[in-house]
Amino acid sequence: MWTEKYRPRSLNDIVDQEEIVNRLKSFVKAKNVPHCIFAGPPGTGKTTAALCLAQDLYGPGYREYVMELNASDERGINVVRETVKTFARTKSIGEVSFKILILDEADNMTSDAQQALRRTMERYTETARFILIANYSGKIIEPIQSRCAPFRFTYLPMEHAINWIKHIAENEKLTIEDDGLEAILEISGGDLRRATNILQTAASVGKPINEETIYSVVGRANPSDVQGMLLTALNGNFVEARKKLRDMILKYGLAGTDIIGQIHNETFKLNVPDKWKVKLADIIGEVDFRLLQGSNEEIQLSALLAKLVEAGADIKRGQ
Amino acid sequence: MNVPWTLKYKPQTLDEVVGNKEAKDTILRWIREWNKKPPKKRALFIYGPPGTGKTVAAEALANDLGMELVQSNASNYRTSEAVQKFAGIASQYTTLFGKKRLILFDELDGIAGNADRGGLREITEVIKVTNSPIVLTANNAYDPRFSTLREHCQLVEFKKPTRTEIETLLKKICSYEGIEAEVEALKLIAERASGDLRSAINDLQALSQGKKRLTYEDVSWLSTRDRKDAVFKVLSDIFYARSSSDARRAVDAADVDLDMLFEWIYENAPYQIKNPNELSAVMEMLAVADLYRGRIGSTQNWELIRYFIDFMTAGVAVSWSHKSSGWVPFKFPTRIMMMSQSRAEREILTIIGLKIGKRCHISATCAIKEVIPYLRIIFQANDKWKKGLSRWFDLDEDMVNYLLTVKN
Ligand SMILES: Nc1ncnc2c1ncn2[C@@H]1O[C@H](COP(=O)(O)OP(=O)(O)OP(=O)(O)O)[C@@H](O)[C@H]1O
Ligand SMILES: Nc1ncnc2c1ncn2[C@@H]1O[C@H](COP(=O)(O)OP(=O)(O)O)[C@@H](O)[C@H]1O
Ligand SMILES: [Mg+2]
Ligand SMILES: [Mg+2]
Repeated sequence: MWTEKYRPRSLNDIVDQEEIVNRLKSFVKAKNVPHCIFAGPPGTGKTTAALCLAQDLYGPGYREYVMELNASDERGINVVRETVKTFARTKSIGEVSFKILILDEADNMTSDAQQALRRTMERYTETARFILIANYSGKIIEPIQSRCAPFRFTYLPMEHAINWIKHIAENEKLTIEDDGLEAILEISGGDLRRATNILQTAASVGKPINEETIYSVVGRANPSDVQGMLLTALNGNFVEARKKLRDMILKYGLAGTDIIGQIHNETFKLNVPDKWKVKLADIIGEVDFRLLQGSNEEIQLSALLAKLVEAGADIKRGQ
Repeated sequence: MNVPWTLKYKPQTLDEVVGNKEAKDTILRWIREWNKKPPKKRALFIYGPPGTGKTVAAEALANDLGMELVQSNASNYRTSEAVQKFAGIASQYTTLFGKKRLILFDELDGIAGNADRGGLREITEVIKVTNSPIVLTANNAYDPRFSTLREHCQLVEFKKPTRTEIETLLKKICSYEGIEAEVEALKLIAERASGDLRSAINDLQALSQGKKRLTYEDVSWLSTRDRKDAVFKVLSDIFYARSSSDARRAVDAADVDLDMLFEWIYENAPYQIKNPNELSAVMEMLAVADLYRGRIGSTQNWELIRYFIDFMTAGVAVSWSHKSSGWVPFKFPTRIMMMSQSRAEREILTIIGLKIGKRCHISATCAIKEVIPYLRIIFQANDKWKKGLSRWFDLDEDMVNYLLTVKN
């Protein structure tokens, strides 16, 4: 996978994020790293920076001193705590006196789990330093934030993203047309993971890489055509809209909350009167809340689709 | 001719007992110890949910080893005298013909209340001195009444076999019976049995009585145990009810599974109701009904079921004008079928997601969202990359095929 093939192996190779990289380099020089929080949008180099820091710090044998855990995959804090304990208990024997524990997607931990982690962090500070990675630092509880040095990652600026893609294209001997490059940037918006995956997928098809191939690849990759579903409902075809919804949930395994998030985004882009947008926002919020109470995703969301059918009819009548 | 299939297809050897490999290994280890001398724990206490094969395992064990099974059920060990009498005969080392004996105290849960403690105490005494291996079975070994008894037993847990294991057994029975069954049909039976092989086999027999073909639709009646026209009648009684109480009564009149009935109403509402405002009102009623069902799930307060019924019947009936646009046939709810299919799919998706996540330093969820959609296209488009990447991600053939079959 190209995301891995081209993932930087040293802080020197990380694109942009200069301030962050400089501070991390100073940690390497001092052979001391505080607990850290890396926060920022997806595909901006958070995990990469953590891994690079470790590689620069420990050298080629770094794996022995680093542990990577993904909070979204590890069920329950107990798993995390036990793993951390056994990992942190034994001292590092090298020049650097501590090991590094990377806890990725830490914002997916409940606050209870984070509370428990707080004690573990304190107890083992001597032997283990934590790098917590999150999309929103706000979801990390205060007491943990106060123990960590914060680092804010931002989307890569256009020209850096362009260079990145060109660099891969060159290495893979691909010809990529300008409008293709633009399309990738437009769709990925500074998320290099997505940009790289789109590029690799387009390359696998073996056609010239231009705007058309990029959009067709992305279109096929994203069956969660939320916009299409909403428009179908607005046009009065409830049964078809419901079928689209059903496919998203059952065939492609999308979570109800993800779909709701997307619906919320799309709603304000719809061509309906503002009065209806606000009304719909209220309904979407209600559905969001009901899902928390254990109700069924499809049933709740299809009630929402029925409201859209109503809105569509209302609009037609009004015009 | 009407032998129950649970008897007809009862496992004869321990090997044929479906699932619970570990438990079976423990049983074998324990019985082998008897070859030398009576082991420390002279009784084996098999416990687990109904219909998982506890009794059958004891029977099969005796059969495998050529032992004579002496069994007794609850009524025989209510009092200490009864136990003494039974155990006295049973625990003599061999039969007249030199066969060894295996003693089975089946269904210990059957001993009810404190009154029967005498019987339990006596069983404990028998275990201490027996010269023949003893097997006990119960659903819950941790019932406080068994606390003393438990100390003298080797515990073996029988877990619910998986849906796939049940499905495989059902498939085998069908092929013996010459029944051609749809995969989805067997899946649904297995799913609904939730680990109880006895009920799965019974359902299979009841549903395929006199049939050569078993379809998914045949099986979906499992829950309603009712005829199709009966459901159609309930549906039209609800959709077109004159009053809210008529609508509610429609449910009482018919003996149908509520969840299944809800699916029917939910599936059919948009076909019956064309007016957008009315459809929206009805769908909202169904959503509220579903909300109450969700609350039942999260609070375990079953009293709330009445509101679930209110909204799916009366709520639906009063929210529209009953002006139908001509006769529309009721449609079979397909969502349930898709759901049982997709559960298995989601399992495999998660496994693939974890494997990719490990390689790409992301969570399974992120892999499912950000990588798998692209991987599908790559696999379809490029054979060479497919091979390389499957090896790198360590995906087996099933996983690769899964990625290839679900088209974007
Ligand atoms: N593991 C199994 N493999 C094959 N068939 C099974 C299995 N478990 C149950 N069955 C079928 O179900 C019938 C009942 O099984 P069995 O009497 O062993 O259940 P049990 O576990 O003792 O349940 P209970 O707790 O209700 O006594 C058997 O006759 C057999 O046909
Ligand atoms: N600043 C960056 N410099 C170099 N590569 C980057 C940068 N940001 C993202 N990438 C590339 O994008 C992919 C995902 O990066 P990653 O660090 O895992 O993102 P995240 O911020 O979500 O943890 C990797 O292949 C990596 O090479
Ligand atoms: Mg990351
Ligand atoms: Mg039994």
